[in-house]
Amino acid sequence: MTRTRGSRTRALTVALVATLFATACGGSAPGNDDETSGTIRLLTPIFEGTDGKTVLEKQLGDFKEKYPDITVEVDYTSYGKLNEKLTTSIAGGRPYDVMLMGVGWIPPFAEKGALAELDESRQELTQRYNERVVEPGIYQDKVYGLPIMLDTRFGLYRKDIFAEAGIAAPPSNFAELREIGRKLTVRDGSGKLTRAGVDILSNDLRQTFLPLMWANGGDLWAADGQPAFNSPEAVGALQLMTDIIRTDKSEDFGFTQPGATGLPLAQGRAAMMVGHNNHLLAIEEQAPELIKEDKIGFFMITNERPAMFQGGTLATVSAKSQRPTAAKALVGFLTDEQASLAANEQRGNVPALNSLADSEYVQSNKAAQFAMANLDAAYSEGGVPAWLEIRGDFKAAIESALLGQKTPQQALDELVVKAQAAIAKG
Amino acid sequence: MTSTLESPSVAPASRAPRPPRRRRRLGAERRRAAYLMLAPSVIHLIWWIGLPVVATFGLAFTNYDVIAGTIEWAGLDNFREIFADDIWNLSIWHTVVFTFFTVPVAMAIAVVIAVLLNQRIKALAWYRAAFFMPHITATVAIALVWMWMFEPNLGLFNLLLDRVGVNGPAWLSDPDWAMPAVILVSIWKGIGLKMLIYLAALQNIPHDLYEAADIDGASSARKFFAITLPLLKPATFFVFIVSMIDAFQVFDQVYVLTPDGGPANSTTVMTYEIYRTAFGEFDISAACAQSVVLFAFLLVLTVIGRRLTGKDGDEA
Repeated sequence: MTRTRGSRTRALTVALVATLFATACGGSAPGNDDETSGTIRLLTPIFEGTDGKTVLEKQLGDFKEKYPDITVEVDYTSYGKLNEKLTTSIAGGRPYDVMLMGVGWIPPFAEKGALAELDESRQELTQRYNERVVEPGIYQDKVYGLPIMLDTRFGLYRKDIFAEAGIAAPPSNFAELREIGRKLTVRDGSGKLTRAGVDILSNDLRQTFLPLMWANGGDLWAADGQPAFNSPEAVGALQLMTDIIRTDKSEDFGFTQPGATGLPLAQGRAAMMVGHNNHLLAIEEQAPELIKEDKIGFFMITNERPAMFQGGTLATVSAKSQRPTAAKALVGFLTDEQASLAANEQRGNVPALNSLADSEYVQSNKAAQFAMANLDAAYSEGGVPAWLEIRGDFKAAIESALLGQKTPQQALDELVVKAQAAIAKG
Repeated sequence: MTSTLESPSVAPASRAPRPPRRRRRLGAERRRAAYLMLAPSVIHLIWWIGLPVVATFGLAFTNYDVIAGTIEWAGLDNFREIFADDIWNLSIWHTVVFTFFTVPVAMAIAVVIAVLLNQRIKALAWYRAAFFMPHITATVAIALVWMWMFEPNLGLFNLLLDRVGVNGPAWLSDPDWAMPAVILVSIWKGIGLKMLIYLAALQNIPHDLYEAADIDGASSARKFFAITLPLLKPATFFVFIVSMIDAFQVFDQVYVLTPDGGPANSTTVMTYEIYRTAFGEFDISAACAQSVVLFAFLLVLTVIGRRLTGKDGDEA
């Protein structure tokens, strides 16, 4: 009796564990349904909030008119929660049919077979998009993602503050950036910072460091695919950030942070910043007169070369989609002129399609115009399958240098060691 | 399997004996009914707690690639990897520091508040509700309000400090102040429940003990230390264990107040690192290994807590 009960228990345990691993490792096989019909699931980190939802629902209404037999179920999320949704859907064996994701996501997901190849060629795409925009959606010469929108990082400055100080033009190299920053920094009698000469903290630190690194002639990866972000150029970029905070005191660590209630540039608490193109949207909300009176200017971050950070949102199809044809139809729809223009307008971003350069939206948005005009000097992060593991460590490494806990060289050397371990782990 | 109590042989001769078959049938029926009623809980336990626990322990010894869907045996590699990671080790230290400051401090404040709110004072119900309110309010909402209060330029704290001529710090962006700020919010949020448990325990203390102490001329402080505190020991054990577990599992206020582990990882805690490893780095196996370590911590703390409070704890 005891033996039987023990055997049953063991059998039950084995069955449970087997079920568990089968669930974990499983997932349905890719579908071969070539009909443009059925229900497909869309995961989107853009179209956030009520406004975003309204825009997407309007677009999906148009999609339904075009493809009456396809129903789209939408799961709204944000970039901060995107990984959770992707991971759990894939682990649960029910991935989304269409996934909108950032540029750094393509290599990791394509490498592991999670994305379906799209029926597009690089040659064809470069006729519709700037070549720099097409590259992030390509992995090992196969197209996995079509761009909907770009988000870029460059310099923004207050023309009125510059004019008051008698400065005619924005900085054209790192030395000028520091010099102007020092000159425009204001502290009160007690030493409290009231205006930062250069604000490098309102933007995500990694996305501030990278355009500085590219502008200084550095690159993320060496020719052999190994991390190169501890090169002299990269160290020089982090040294510049450290000097702004620790030597020049053009900004105090903690003065502001990404997503803070008020943008210092809009409030007159910063004279210039490394910022996002959609900071213009924040300025329009917080201080619309600055836009009306043309007090906001833009500049390329430049030292050895001009550089601009270029991220973006791409539409992809899951390799395990049961309805790949319907999913590809939705990708085509979301990346066409009408839908992508609506998405960009809602988010204050930069359209990826060349044909939208003349649109009313771009013509009325100077940040978008500036970004589109400078795409030839744009650089993107990502590039290796381990990028999503590596990128999270940048912030702490940069902060450790800004706080004086480590030298820029030490901080980046340690970051490279971690990156190498992540790459080796695969 | 039949119990002695169910045996008809032990029934007194004077009582009308029940037919044995009927009794057995009733017993079996009751057992079936009991199993039926227990079934939802048992299924819930197995499916939502048992399986994830088994999976966590199992996956901690594998290399599971969640995107590719591959799995292979890894032995202790994940444990070696996590303990070689400075940030994970730092998160353990931060969790200990957070627990050290939130649990005893909040418990001490809660006892004092509970004693005060056990007096006959005006608007007692309002005070009790006010202290309990943070516990039932969504942590995210609380954190957002505190974020505004901690804001370095326009926040309440720095405006008040400014009035007395002190340059307030950038609370949540300064690595020296971020953890104290999170601890402050956590203490404030945690006091309500602890206070409620202590209040219930205080109301169970026989009043005649205090009357006897009054006759003996004992001071209020003497009564508190000689009667109140010792008789609160079972409640203290319960609050201690629950608070320790809560403190080790802290996540939401840290995540909202100081995203990405805070400035220079100064507020990263074990639960946040588990989350970051799983969903930031897609390394589910390492995250499971970290969860096993967290489980071990909680197990050891619970055992120590039971040993320290001894028999009294069992009464809680």
